[in-house]
Amino acid sequence: MQPTFNGFPRTNGRFGIRNHVLVLSTVALTNRLAELIAAAVPESLPVLGEFMRGLRGPDAGVQQTVLDGIVRHANVGGALLLAHDEVAAEALRARYAELGKPLAVQAFMDANGIQDAIERGRHALQQVYRQTEQVSRVQAPLGALTVALECGGSDATSGLCANPTIGRFVDRLIAAGGSAIVSETAEFIGAEHVIRARAETDAIAEAILARLAAREDMMKADGADYRGVNPTAENIAAGLTTLVEKSMGAVAKTGSTPFRGCLGFAESPATTGLHFMDTPFFSPMSITGMVAAGAQLTLFGIGVFNPSGNPLAPTLKVCGNPHTVEVWNDAVDLDVSALVRGETDLEQTGLRLGEMVIAVAGGVRTKTERWREGQVMFPKTTAPL
Amino acid sequence: MNAPLQGRTHIRLSDADNVTTLLDDGIDADVLADGTAIDVGIPFGHKVAIRAIAAGETVRKYGVVIGTATQPIRLGEHVHVHNCR
Repeated sequence: MQPTFNGFPRTNGRFGIRNHVLVLSTVALTNRLAELIAAAVPESLPVLGEFMRGLRGPDAGVQQTVLDGIVRHANVGGALLLAHDEVAAEALRARYAELGKPLAVQAFMDANGIQDAIERGRHALQQVYRQTEQVSRVQAPLGALTVALECGGSDATSGLCANPTIGRFVDRLIAAGGSAIVSETAEFIGAEHVIRARAETDAIAEAILARLAAREDMMKADGADYRGVNPTAENIAAGLTTLVEKSMGAVAKTGSTPFRGCLGFAESPATTGLHFMDTPFFSPMSITGMVAAGAQLTLFGIGVFNPSGNPLAPTLKVCGNPHTVEVWNDAVDLDVSALVRGETDLEQTGLRLGEMVIAVAGGVRTKTERWREGQVMFPKTTAPL
Repeated sequence: MNAPLQGRTHIRLSDADNVTTLLDDGIDADVLADGTAIDVGIPFGHKVAIRAIAAGETVRKYGVVIGTATQPIRLGEHVHVHNCR
């Protein structure tokens, strides 16, 4: 029997693991208003980005893709979208007219002062909330999940405990018809042989390797020789001897299935299975890319503690470092440090993670959610106008 | 009297690996938890050879080749940038 979770059915056939009612500030000019409105409706979730005007070339497209990804996200039941003016508001209404979820769009400049803007927003948000509440959880196949794979604060336990635990679960998820996205392009430098061996086609391998080469060229342009300085002095002190050893620790979280796609920032996968996404290495940014692409949940392997997450999608933190799990007990979700003590094995921790994913997908909040931790940010390649 | 030193905790993910990673701070111990004799003083997160490794032979961790021995490495010896790259 295939495993299932209880999720919110969406009109596009996907399943949300949360039924968020967003107050989404679509331009940073309305960020404070979004906070004020959300504070008046405690069930809502404010999502503030750094959405701006004056972006050029592909940057404007990336910003639009991220915004679309948030509004369309399966974890979003409904939303109040804040725009600066009526022209922008009308464009948003047109863009999302056929979305099939409760939405309201409000133009800041339509209000008569800030207090009036808050009152109008609160009223619209309460209506959205009442409509959003109509949806109930139903049984959904595990394969309806897309997970984002992340690691940070990596130490010697990461590549041996947390990341391979995530890898074991990812293999099981993909066997059940699910999907996973891994990002942080620079982390794959030194693991090119893995990309070649595991890409489903030569074209996918070449596409991913081209993204790696482009990042390495960026470093060279800055006068940095990535291969020359990695592993870093800090990594060497921690016991990492070679770049391959370092990169393989991060790759362990991808499991063992083939790479079926190479995605641009925030680009949704066209198929199920494992996908590579080209992103910067800064976690809040790479997670934004994977969540905007549709991931409902992030699996985050840590060694020493690493904060960050995303407001839309729960972040589940897995840690194998006995010291970290003790000190950061209020921020780590799954303690796999029994691996270090030889009291369990990866088969067992992988199964335990699977149980926890199903519980979290069904509504159990992660530590990151309880702290309301999370950022929305995306890369820019060119100075704005 | 000091308590007897315990064998060190370590993880090896594949039977093909010729090193294991020490994951405790008991650097004064000279034996792994399974009884294998090792050098003292190897820090948390560092690797130790669990077989003799010849110069030029590959070093394997997580079931993959992570480097090559630049000199002969004894069973129980610290494996790091001084003898592997």
